[in-house]
Amino acid sequence: MAGAEKREVIYEVKNVSKRYGSVVALDGASLKLHAGEVIGLVGDNGAGKSTLVKVLSGAHEPDGGQIFLDGEERSWSSPREALDAGIETLYQDSGLAPHLTVSQNVFLGREKTVKGLLGKLGFLARKEMEHDAHADLERVGIAVPAANRPVAQLSGGQRQAVAIGRAVSWARKVIILDEPTNHLGARQAGEVLEVIKAAKKKGLGVIFISHTLPHVLEVTDRIVVLRLGRIVKDAPTSTFTGDTLVGTITGTIQTIKVEGD
Amino acid sequence: MANSKQATSAQTTSVAVADRLKGMLSNQSTILVGVMVLLVAVFGSIEPKFLSAATMNNVLTDWGSVVLLAVGQTLVVISGGIDLSVGAVVGLSGVISAWTMVNVLHLDSTATGSKATGGLLVGLLVSVAVGVSVGLLNAVLINKLKIVPFIATLSTMGAALGFSVIISSGMPIQGPANYELISAMDAKTNPFSWAILGSALVITIVGLFLHKSRFGLYTYAIGSNTFAARAAGISVEKHLTKVYALSGGLAGLAGMYVYLRLGAGSPSSGTGRELDAIAAVVIGGASLMGGIGRLWGTVLGALILFTVQSGLIMIGVAPDWKKVVVAILIAAAVAAQGLQKSNRRS
Amino acid sequence: MKRSFRTIAALGAVAALALTATGCASATPEKLTIAFVMGAESDPFFQAMKVGAEAEAAAQGVDLIWQGDPANYSAETQLPIVESVLAQQPDGLVLIPTDPVALQAVSDKAVAAGIAVANVDTHTNDLSKVVTFITGDNTDGGAKAADAIAKAIGYTAGKTYEVVIGLTSATATTNVDRQKGFEAAVAANYPGIQIKDVAYSESNPEKAATNVSNWLTKYPNLKGIFAIDGTNASGAAAALQAKNLVGKVALVGYDAYPANVQLIKDGVFTALIAQDPAAEARLAIKTLVAFLKDGTKPAQRDVVIPNFALTADSTDAEFAQYTYVATN
Ligand SMILES: Nc1ncnc2c1ncn2[C@@H]1O[C@H](COP(=O)(O)OP(=O)(O)O)[C@@H](O)[C@H]1O
Ligand SMILES: [Mg+2]
Repeated sequence: MAGAEKREVIYEVKNVSKRYGSVVALDGASLKLHAGEVIGLVGDNGAGKSTLVKVLSGAHEPDGGQIFLDGEERSWSSPREALDAGIETLYQDSGLAPHLTVSQNVFLGREKTVKGLLGKLGFLARKEMEHDAHADLERVGIAVPAANRPVAQLSGGQRQAVAIGRAVSWARKVIILDEPTNHLGARQAGEVLEVIKAAKKKGLGVIFISHTLPHVLEVTDRIVVLRLGRIVKDAPTSTFTGDTLVGTITGTIQTIKVEGD
Repeated sequence: MANSKQATSAQTTSVAVADRLKGMLSNQSTILVGVMVLLVAVFGSIEPKFLSAATMNNVLTDWGSVVLLAVGQTLVVISGGIDLSVGAVVGLSGVISAWTMVNVLHLDSTATGSKATGGLLVGLLVSVAVGVSVGLLNAVLINKLKIVPFIATLSTMGAALGFSVIISSGMPIQGPANYELISAMDAKTNPFSWAILGSALVITIVGLFLHKSRFGLYTYAIGSNTFAARAAGISVEKHLTKVYALSGGLAGLAGMYVYLRLGAGSPSSGTGRELDAIAAVVIGGASLMGGIGRLWGTVLGALILFTVQSGLIMIGVAPDWKKVVVAILIAAAVAAQGLQKSNRRS
Repeated sequence: MKRSFRTIAALGAVAALALTATGCASATPEKLTIAFVMGAESDPFFQAMKVGAEAEAAAQGVDLIWQGDPANYSAETQLPIVESVLAQQPDGLVLIPTDPVALQAVSDKAVAAGIAVANVDTHTNDLSKVVTFITGDNTDGGAKAADAIAKAIGYTAGKTYEVVIGLTSATATTNVDRQKGFEAAVAANYPGIQIKDVAYSESNPEKAATNVSNWLTKYPNLKGIFAIDGTNASGAAAALQAKNLVGKVALVGYDAYPANVQLIKDGVFTALIAQDPAAEARLAIKTLVAFLKDGTKPAQRDVVIPNFALTADSTDAEFAQYTYVATN
């Protein structure tokens, strides 16, 4: 963890809460992410991981708490604002539009238009985007299917690859990956881990959510454990073994809340 | 040996042909063009007068108004919604536009020349403005009050109908007319009219925006996966507002088209047209679940619908049977799509 | 026990009501109130009726309660409206029953409460307790349309003429009566007229225009069109004008919408068969008021007000009488 501590905190939430009706999905969670750091976010189903992701990505406004980017307090009223600030998110299961092609998905919300008046009217540079999407996905080390195929025609693994490729190729500060290795084979999951390492090397902050604990232990610098909407443990990855991590998640190992670092 | 080689090559060509046929069959517009050709052949062989410029004019004149509604409906359906208000908007926009020409501009059916033309242009603007307003109201109900599109547009449909009756006392309002815009350019040889060409131009422009521009892309994205669209930074509410406003505006345009056709604004002139529009969209291959649809399909769908309606009158099918035939046609179109999809999967 | 007591109480209340009602009518010279419950406000037919009702109520010095569903011509929506009108205890009720069976009970209830009831346009099955029933004659209107077409095409025996009829739906009773009257007159007087085709407009004038456009293509020798109501009349007129066939095909329409009346003058319509809903309303109110004041019953209970054929030769007074008036 020495490496990460020297770097500055780029993204931070303090005491955020979120409830859906009577369900308290997130209860006063605080988290600091440094540049070049990979945080593993783990917890049982329903612990509040995806909810925290949506707060971080601007998809949901929290009921309470603060968000800081580069030390400055921010609040996202839409995902657009978070995207524009350099925060990319891969959502669990629902990040792509199946009827759009690979390149349309990669460029969605950031399309390239043709030059001149038609461009001002929003006419798209389709060929250029197909070419660039292909190149971008390849650059981040993802085996890409044809960029002009509808996503609905891809396998589950290929779709996930496109979603990850999109997040990584656009991210400037932070990448949040909600269960990116779901539905993936061992080899493809390995590729994803390589992608995470490469992002870290570029100095991006990464939040990685997974139920595959060996992956979490392999690739993260720090692990944050959520239980029933609360952060019950926040410690360097090196302090966990597989067994202690499982115990912390399920609650068989007693925890005290860690106050930042 | 030579024989067996020949057999193999024959086999490969036949496989290639079968593949190509399969590819063609899986292309919605090829099917639609095929259906069109078949319909024309059948109707024409039963009633030779069907194969005439006059018949083409009859079909295209109907097509010209409903295709505007159907194109707007295509956008709405691709975005995952539905707009039931468009038929009532045809009546309301025609009535308000006629009312304006008569009571504000003081023009009546005897107006001619530049006075009439000027009046009709004002009428056109009013008509489109009325349509856009209803579209914006739909958007408010859907975005702000979170009413599902079916119910939201059903209620504006009722309101639009009510208003048009209140304004017109239920009767057509006669204003300046110009039948030259709506009549065939030449009854014997040229079935097009200025109004038909106007509709064709408008839908071409909308088609370009739907298939080539960011506007269209966002429409598909929202219908395909609203969450993904929002997550990609698209302002879904803002975009849907544009989509419903455009659908309303096109309905307003259709209102003016029908006004021109009748020489009067009539509150019931759009009765049932929302269903014709939805039928054209479905025949054209769009999915009511959103995310899927081509403008070209809708354009052909509307053409098929009116070819059938004219054809059935021309060959003398009893009017009670006409509805049945049209219903079968729509069911067949939807079934064909289902087959196609399962074909593609296998 | 309890139930029969309640029934007796209810009967008593009704009797008391009836007594007070008759008492009022004879003893005090108070203003009479006539309730008028029609079919559907949006229908121009009833709009015109309203004009006649309001004029006659003013002339007779009675209060008018004008009620009816805004758009739906149905018993389901009309029943509660009649009920709530009866609760206001009018002296007389002019009812346009949207269904002969469904409205019977409420009509009987009104009579039992001492309210004088008149039926206009349509009637309930049992007319015995009704003061008067006034209606237009749609069958006669259809016959008049046949006469007008025959005249316009210069009908001569021995020749054949092709004619079509534009309908709104298979079930509208006015459509059925007018079509019957037309066909009967053709069979009896103009055997050379061939009715080639019918089609439905589904209440949409553009669809009516579609039907006529296609007929004009299919029957190049078409001589006449009978457009059975206002919607079909508007659509047929539009189709003739778009195809440049004004004056070449005789067009007889129905319902004197101001826009269509104008088109008689322009030569598009050969004739428009007009009903006189305002006259029906006026007569109904007049008859009820006379009955309420001193028990005068009309000479005949059932009155048929004939339809009228408006043509370019009609007088201004006739145009003024029959043209439907918009109420705003
Ligand atoms: N949109 C929603 N509406 C209502 N409840 C929700 C919604 N999303 C999540 N929840 C609830 O909030 C809690 C946390 O869910 P989530 O953040 O998805 O957990 P995780 O991703 O850790 O499995 C769960 O109890 C879940 O049922
Ligand atoms: Mg989750």
